[in-house]
Amino acid sequence: MNTILTSARHEVLCTLRARVAMLLLVLFLGMVSLSSLIGWLTNTTVTRVYEKILADGLTTAPNPFAAVSALYYSRNSVIYVVLIGALMAIILGVQATLRDRQSGTSDLVLSRPVDTIHRLIGQFLGLGAVIAAVLAASTVISWASISIIMGAPLGFDTSVRLIAFATLSWSLMMIFALLGMLTGLYSRKETTALLVPFVIWSAIAFVLPQIGTAARPVALLNPVPALVAPGSASFDLIGAVTGPFTITEQFKRAASIVLRDDSVTGSPWLSILLLVAVLIAMTWIVVVTPRHTLRSGLNE
Amino acid sequence: MTTSAISTAALTRSFGAHQALADLTLDVPQGEVFGLLGHNGAGKTTTVNLLTTLLEPTAGDAMINGHSVKTDAAGVRQSIGYLPENVQFYDNLTLLENLRFFARLSGLRRPDARIRDVLTFLDFTGHDNQRVGTFSKGMRQRVGIAQAVLHAPAVLFLDEPTSGLDPEGVRTLRKTIVRLNHEFGMTIFMNTHLLSEVTKTCTSIGILNHGRLVHHDSMSNTLAAFPADESLEDIYFQLDSAAA
Repeated sequence: MNTILTSARHEVLCTLRARVAMLLLVLFLGMVSLSSLIGWLTNTTVTRVYEKILADGLTTAPNPFAAVSALYYSRNSVIYVVLIGALMAIILGVQATLRDRQSGTSDLVLSRPVDTIHRLIGQFLGLGAVIAAVLAASTVISWASISIIMGAPLGFDTSVRLIAFATLSWSLMMIFALLGMLTGLYSRKETTALLVPFVIWSAIAFVLPQIGTAARPVALLNPVPALVAPGSASFDLIGAVTGPFTITEQFKRAASIVLRDDSVTGSPWLSILLLVAVLIAMTWIVVVTPRHTLRSGLNE
Repeated sequence: MTTSAISTAALTRSFGAHQALADLTLDVPQGEVFGLLGHNGAGKTTTVNLLTTLLEPTAGDAMINGHSVKTDAAGVRQSIGYLPENVQFYDNLTLLENLRFFARLSGLRRPDARIRDVLTFLDFTGHDNQRVGTFSKGMRQRVGIAQAVLHAPAVLFLDEPTSGLDPEGVRTLRKTIVRLNHEFGMTIFMNTHLLSEVTKTCTSIGILNHGRLVHHDSMSNTLAAFPADESLEDIYFQLDSAAA
């Protein structure tokens, strides 16, 4: 327990002192803040145009933003998590496990009475705390900015949904953080430690969804899951096979339902279960890393 | 009767076809300052890595303070301090943050008072909140000693501790080693190239040649076995070349 807490605390400290990590955290928070601003600007612009054409007698239809849910303003955050959040998590994960191998501090750590499983769990929890803190800050920013846009504090249900979205985001980001930790442990070079998880991330976020859904590439940058081509048995089959691996699409699906996006229907539970299963599997793979791997040198 | 702080029995380590250490059988009594000599690639660092449990032996075993490196590695780690060659730290963290981390890993729950005592002992005060990345080689070496002795280990392993130090740094380190041994009774196992340092610091020596121990005796016996005008350097080359 002592090693877990010590390693977790140390990880938080090292992450907060790393400039690149801090830059990414600030960037992520900035993008989430912008998400609400973009939503508000869209609302304001469309409403102005609507009021003008209403005054000119060109329409009798209701204002399209009149019935918009407060959570609408958070929807862009879904894609920020998949794009910036996941990449940030990979970098934090790689740094966590590569740090000791790069600097040579692994021998000092491993000469102490340290169980490697406890050490890695501690690092995982430290990263988890940093990412949770960032998501908590982004949730507070979203809550406050949406409350300002709506002209009143958000209700209980909406607030809970924002927290649920942050929890989902944490799960996805931790999966990528663990991927980074894994390549940081096993790569022989610093460059491949970063390159390999980036390639895997791009395959998961962009390549696999296209294989399974025939989605237009641009659709993958939307916060809603890629649409399956209707009536196509082959895509249904490929989609069923690749579905569990396209965790970013699973996240987008669950997040869209949590954020009450009408274009996605059904239950989010299967997607949530898949995310949790992948998170548990990745955690297990990382913590059973053999002791000698933690002190293996880099060929650079 | 003195008990052994370090005792090895046919300790062997191979890397593929290359045998880095062969059948090392050695006893270092408690309270000794033992110097392990040998040319580059003789197996000195492999020996230290095996005794500090960083490597697992291919065959044989070693007991450190009564704990087996094969069956009780955790007990060994609790009993030892270790200073690797070219010691590195977390450069973005301060001296105090680095030492707190290693102290807590060693099981000290509230380490600040102990850290202060150790830094005072090492005459290294006033740098607590300075980032280690800004430290010179000599300063880092003192931080290295500090992290190694925070938990008051019974045995201290030093791998080429004088490597890269200036004459002043070498002298300071030598004094520190002697004080640790005299004041706290710490057994010290040291790999080194500097024969002059061995003469001034060690109470017993071993010489490794191509992974085999070719000489092991007290410093006084070693010097007495050769003509009085021969230096340890002369003796080392005689023993080393005889083994080759």
